[in-house]
Amino acid sequence: MKKKSSILKWILIGAVACLLLAFPAFAKSSYQVHIVNNIGIWLLLSLGLNIAMGYGGQFNLALGALWGVGAYTAALLQTRLGVPFWINLPLGIIAAATMAALVGLPSFKVRSHYLAIVTIGLGEVINLFLVNQDELTGGALGINRIKPPSLFGFPIDTNERFYYLILIMVILGYLIGRQIVGHRIGRAFRALRDDFQAARAMGVNTGFYQILAFAISGAYAGAAGVLFAHWNSYISPDIFEFKSALIVLTMIMIGGMGSLPGSVVGTVLLLVLNEYLRVFERWQLVGYGVAIIVVVLFLPGGVVELVRRFGSLRQRWSAGLTKEKSNVEEERNVP
Amino acid sequence: MFLEIDQLTMQFGGLVAVNNVSISIKKGEIHGLIGPNGSGKTTIFNVLSGYYKPTGGKVSFEGRTISGLPAHQITAAGFARTFQNMRLFKTMTVLENLLVAMGHHAKVGLLQEILNPVAVHREEEKFVEKAMDLLDLLEVADFANELATSLPYGNQRRVEMARALATDPKVILLDEPAAGLNEVETEDLRKTLMKIRDLGVTIFLVEHDMKLVMEICEEISVLDYGKKIAEGTGAVISKDPVVIEAYLGQEEDK
Repeated sequence: MKKKSSILKWILIGAVACLLLAFPAFAKSSYQVHIVNNIGIWLLLSLGLNIAMGYGGQFNLALGALWGVGAYTAALLQTRLGVPFWINLPLGIIAAATMAALVGLPSFKVRSHYLAIVTIGLGEVINLFLVNQDELTGGALGINRIKPPSLFGFPIDTNERFYYLILIMVILGYLIGRQIVGHRIGRAFRALRDDFQAARAMGVNTGFYQILAFAISGAYAGAAGVLFAHWNSYISPDIFEFKSALIVLTMIMIGGMGSLPGSVVGTVLLLVLNEYLRVFERWQLVGYGVAIIVVVLFLPGGVVELVRRFGSLRQRWSAGLTKEKSNVEEERNVP
Repeated sequence: MFLEIDQLTMQFGGLVAVNNVSISIKKGEIHGLIGPNGSGKTTIFNVLSGYYKPTGGKVSFEGRTISGLPAHQITAAGFARTFQNMRLFKTMTVLENLLVAMGHHAKVGLLQEILNPVAVHREEEKFVEKAMDLLDLLEVADFANELATSLPYGNQRRVEMARALATDPKVILLDEPAAGLNEVETEDLRKTLMKIRDLGVTIFLVEHDMKLVMEICEEISVLDYGKKIAEGTGAVISKDPVVIEAYLGQEEDK
């Protein structure tokens, strides 16, 4: 029984893998690929925030600005010094993770909602720096002509080619995320989220893990930023702000806090819906707000919770069936 | 001396919660700490486990001063504790609760943890095995994969003790382990405490259940209003007029 379901699981994974690999071939337009690439970049952001916040309880709402740190690191290194993508990627990740660790320092003093407010402020400081230091960052105009990556002379310069790069990054990000949350680090994160004092008494170095949670979300945002800069070839400060962090927050709340599949579901759901709801323009944010309220009130675990509930319902149903069956058998045994 | 609490004072603003208390505990003994409510017992535990920095005096353990160290270092030095109002990690299974407590023994580095699934898996298996042994010892192994906070009260207490033992302590601080237990459960607890002592773990016990304390503690310290008013074996303590007065008021009132 168990074996059968694991075979089914692998078939499912194989099918999804084939679909993902073949996607650019059957996409209706380059624009569709563009949208999916965009989803991939936001996925990295939402995976990072979910690890820090969903697991570690560390509200990092400077995420939008940290995304910018990754993007600007790559953009500046590329346009000023001609550094290629492959070197910018680790540097951007390190830069954003370091900045995130600094943003996380107030977590020693303040917690939960207060921490959220402090990180919003710090994020805006970073954003203002990007806007006002125009000699370095190009100010509100941003930086353009960032060269696309190339692999052994093969330029990754179309949406279709970039698709595979982003796909690899997202899969790597997901697998690394699973490794993080599934073992010691993830348990320490959950421990300090569940009960800070008990975590300390169980030998969890809470300060270290708090900063680590921030740094991890920063590293994901940094990777997203470097990818974004090289893919878009143009960046400006206007998206690296609080609003972006809020969108990511909406994604993980709708998809499921403390669940990596939740990040995937939430991000895909929100961005795909976004395409269909484009006509409503400004009402979108109102929509996000309503969606958050509905989720918080009726489905605190997000959409993945719905799947889980359905699963346990089915399990109970089948368990109930076997129970009935055994009852029947017992009755038969009665002489 | 194994564990030496030396002229410990803990002051919160104008309130002196613990006043110049000295207690020494021998290796392997069960030491009881009793006293009326608000006499400073839990405050002493909170200092011992690193939550508070004492405002006076110090705590030394195996010749090394540990008071003032951060909590996780005190745990690493060999202290574990349970809480008066049980603080199990509420989103975790029983087994996961224990694995958290084992985290600080991990030999696999953090970077390896992320990039080397094989090494992590191997270490995890060892931890799980050890955790299951502890759960077995405390007779809660059957619930290993259940949500810890979904268990009945008595079993949650056992899980909390197992979790404390999972840090591999030399001293375990138990804050009112019998609170809320009925007579049968208290008897089970007594057996459990004996098992813990047989592991070679020194037990420092805050408890209101006098029968239990008198039965198992080799040495008892009595606190009242933050001061130590008596120390000795159960027989000595129970006859001490100062102790009787602290607990029951004047003899006539009885």
